[in-house]
Amino acid sequence: MTADLLSPHPTTGIAAATTDLSKVYGSGDTRVVALDRVSVAFREGEFTAIMGPSGCGKSTLMHCAAGLDSPTSGSVRVGTTELARLGDRQLTQLRRDRVGFVFQAFNLLPTLTALENITLPMDIAGRHPDRAWLDRIVSMVGLADRLGHRPVQLSGGQQQRVAVARALASRPAIVFGDEPTGNLDSRAGAEVLGFLRDSVRELGQTVVMVTHDPVAAGYADRVVFLSDGRLVEEMARPTPDRVLDLMKSLGSRSHGS
Amino acid sequence: MLRTTLRNLLAHKARLSMTVLAVCLGVAFVSGTLVFADSTAAAHRAAASKNFAGVDVTVTEKAPEPGAGGGLGAGVLDDALVAQLARVPGVAAVRPSVDGSATLNAADGSPLRAGRAWSNLAGAYVPDRDGKDSRHPLVEGRAPTNSGEIAVDSGTASAGGFRLGDTVTLATDGPVVTPRLVGIVTADDPRVTAGGTLVLFDKATAQRLFAAPGRYSGIDLTATPGTTAYELADRLTALLPAGRAEATTGQAQAAQQAILVDTLTRGYEKVPMVFAGVSLFIGSFLIVNTFTMLVKRRTRETALLRAIGATRRQVSRSVLLEALMVGLAASVTGFLLGLGIAAVLPDILGADGDVLPSGPLVIGPRPVVAALGVGVGVTVLAAWLPSRLAARTSPMEALRTAEQPPSAQRLRLRGAVGLGLLVLGAGWLVSLRGAKDASEENLRDAMAGCGLLAAALIVLAPLLAGPVIRLTGQLTGRFGVTGRLARENALRDPRRTAATAATLLISTGLVTGLAVIGHSTGQALDRQAAAGLGADYVVSTRSTMTGIDPAVLRQLAETPGVRAAHPIADSTLFTGSGVRQITGVDPATVRDTMKLDFVSGSAENLAPGRIAISATVARESGVTTGGLLKVQMGRAGKFTSYKVMGVYKDNPVAHDALGSRSEVAANSFRPDSVQRVLLRTDGQATAALENRLRTAVGNSPLLKVQDREQFVREAAGTMGDLLDVMYGMLGIGVVISALGIVNTLAMSVAERTREIGALRALGMDRAGVRRMIRLEALTVAGFGTLLGLTGGLFGAWAVGSLAHGAVDQYTLALPWGTLLLVCLLSLVIGVLAAAAPARRAAALSPLEAAANT
Repeated sequence: MTADLLSPHPTTGIAAATTDLSKVYGSGDTRVVALDRVSVAFREGEFTAIMGPSGCGKSTLMHCAAGLDSPTSGSVRVGTTELARLGDRQLTQLRRDRVGFVFQAFNLLPTLTALENITLPMDIAGRHPDRAWLDRIVSMVGLADRLGHRPVQLSGGQQQRVAVARALASRPAIVFGDEPTGNLDSRAGAEVLGFLRDSVRELGQTVVMVTHDPVAAGYADRVVFLSDGRLVEEMARPTPDRVLDLMKSLGSRSHGS
Repeated sequence: MLRTTLRNLLAHKARLSMTVLAVCLGVAFVSGTLVFADSTAAAHRAAASKNFAGVDVTVTEKAPEPGAGGGLGAGVLDDALVAQLARVPGVAAVRPSVDGSATLNAADGSPLRAGRAWSNLAGAYVPDRDGKDSRHPLVEGRAPTNSGEIAVDSGTASAGGFRLGDTVTLATDGPVVTPRLVGIVTADDPRVTAGGTLVLFDKATAQRLFAAPGRYSGIDLTATPGTTAYELADRLTALLPAGRAEATTGQAQAAQQAILVDTLTRGYEKVPMVFAGVSLFIGSFLIVNTFTMLVKRRTRETALLRAIGATRRQVSRSVLLEALMVGLAASVTGFLLGLGIAAVLPDILGADGDVLPSGPLVIGPRPVVAALGVGVGVTVLAAWLPSRLAARTSPMEALRTAEQPPSAQRLRLRGAVGLGLLVLGAGWLVSLRGAKDASEENLRDAMAGCGLLAAALIVLAPLLAGPVIRLTGQLTGRFGVTGRLARENALRDPRRTAATAATLLISTGLVTGLAVIGHSTGQALDRQAAAGLGADYVVSTRSTMTGIDPAVLRQLAETPGVRAAHPIADSTLFTGSGVRQITGVDPATVRDTMKLDFVSGSAENLAPGRIAISATVARESGVTTGGLLKVQMGRAGKFTSYKVMGVYKDNPVAHDALGSRSEVAANSFRPDSVQRVLLRTDGQATAALENRLRTAVGNSPLLKVQDREQFVREAAGTMGDLLDVMYGMLGIGVVISALGIVNTLAMSVAERTREIGALRALGMDRAGVRRMIRLEALTVAGFGTLLGLTGGLFGAWAVGSLAHGAVDQYTLALPWGTLLLVCLLSLVIGVLAAAAPARRAAALSPLEAAANT
């Protein structure tokens, strides 16, 4: 059962998808609908950005899609695996083996070196990393001479590059980024976004990123816009200017209504 | 600021509860000990105190001139005197008594509450004019009327399992008698009610046993209203034959008795006080640690307070105030817990045969003051350093996020101080290796050395944490990434790890040292006793105040299987500095029964005026073979110079000195009596032979029959107390350490919420998180245990030479079982303490990683 649920399935072209996904916090007067029947699919080998104003539910959408949070109703699939049917153990395994994360706060373990941080998900799984792949990732993010350093000895940009390498190292089906440039200056942010885009272009990786920065969204292949918990707009091949325009119009639209 | 303090207290009540518990335990031990000591002293006072209520004046025979010998003589307290005294104006009542002691066998044949002559009372049932003895109202049956009948008090009857009509085996001094129990009386004498026994004979029998036919041992008088005890005593003194009897007021007797009792009951506080000290000492580490962590955790808050204008003084005062309240709460709960400890302590301490007298709990002002002083004092003192830390917080910290590593300079200073202490302590101890004996001065040096060593280990612990934990990490590393993370987490803040481990370090060190010394000493005493005893059986009295009946001696000698029976007289020897035991032997046969190892001289020419002394006595008095030793023997009223014929190595059979039997016996408290008989047998000691010997002594409750093995075990038995102390300390140490570990881990989990969330997000399952926290606890516990074990072993090795000086056969013997147990217990405690924090960590959601705070 477990093996069946978690083993890679014949490809459908969709890395992850949500159907009628809803998330509700609290009840009665304090009831807040964070996600309201959101259906969205993330195609394999595509770099998708999720955007929207603060409190629109973009982070919740990502957390649910990544198996970090559980939805109130609706379905989430990673590959062809239905997450609603998985217990905590299986969800943990799914995150470990098939999902990669890049957090805003880096979340590197301060006690481990850069290399140990990169191989941590595989160490947890008890698997040996693929040496050649690891070398390729490491050289791609330009960390070859920093592998023995602890996080405190690295700059913020370097730390996030380690986090990107960690997310890619175990060849996950999909990588989620939660405001990955939120804590970085624009130059370091651009570097990290460049690596994420390169991983899509060169390695065929699927990446989904939550951001509120139109410049960051400009690196994506596609942008989906959320407002008040609903999917309201979608844009292919975005540029920062177009994204900014759309957001302005969305803002005036929501104000106007 | 007060409001902030209160808010802080409430916000951290879970964390502070550990500190409260630790202080509470310490206070409980202190107050429990004091209450116990007060209560026991009161009970002891009762147990050794004759009841003087209703007695205004007592007339007793005047003690014969010391050294005159000859015992009590004919006596002058007879019926005629009683009648004469009754006619004295101001006398309301006269009650003559005959007091002595008698030891009984319980119905099952074992001695009943035996061993303390002053609470195994015997007396006469002396009927008044109305035919009853008002002091001993009959509850059941009737009064004894002839030598074949006795009465006992109801407490004795129920403890011994006696019923009316039973035959009771008892001995007053000489041979065993087996009278019939005909009556049960009530006793109000505290000596009896606090755990003694009372036997009443008929008047004639009691007089024959304890005084002389027709004579009493004392006459109690009550004054009429309006006559003071002193007036009455004066009037009576005028009447009494001068030099033969005296009148003492009850008050004066009670006062004198109180002094005696106080000297008898001193020392009962010692052991529990040691526990209290240890628990408070160890507990203070927990307090310092908790407050340091709390202060650190609140750095941002404190900085904010400072930024908006709170002064340093206000900040540190708020921390101290918090400590004060914690201390107060802990003291109150601790005091209540202490009452419970005081209530159960007698059962625990009395478990090994020596029954403590019972009585109500006495709660004086001393324990209350001590509980508050100690609890609040220790807490506030321990919080002082953290409060300074808090005051040093710069307002800038509110804006900073990264943790500042401790400066290298401070670590170097710590290293230098620690190394200095270590060298000093270890050097001191090693220098004692050359010591020849366990003199007071050497013992003090040893204690100081051990103290320095402990201090050095505590100071150095944060520096040692790195290398030691990296080493133990080899083991935990086998658990894969969880083990590696656990090791790294333990190393993250070496000071905190060291402070947490310090409690285990101290308790393990203490226990290890005590266990090794105790075990080695026990074995040495075993060997010493076995080596010193040539005889196969030892028959002995329970105290030097009683003697072995000559008829019993004869019967023992004639018992089939006994080749030779050597009588020995025991008495005391006052050497200006203290009371020693002297053994009176026959010089001709002493080699047959004792294996004496003479340093110089020999026992061959012992005779009146000539003695041999043990090495300890020789060392203390500075007298050796050929010299003169001025001592007072037994009842001899004056100091005499004895010629020292030889010095032998300490020997539990020969005691502190050897003299000729005739001389020792002449000066013994029972003139010309025998206190021990050493037996040589034809073959092996067998159960049958032992039975024959017990029959030969008439199953007397006054006598002990021991084969070699039992004797050796008893001689080494003093180690039992040490074992109790040891396990007590281990218990306290382990409990407080567990609290500390829970505390530290809970704190560390709280600080690492995001990190643990990230681990969960990256695919570590709950079991993995739990394992990681448990391994971290195990690492910290293992570190403390390892350091304590090393320190304890080193201390025991270094102090060994002192023990070797005291007991010749001493060699270092490691109690592997105990040491293993200590280690296992410490580690198990580590894992158990991790349970709650581990559960909390495992319950953290992976979403914590994405929280943006």
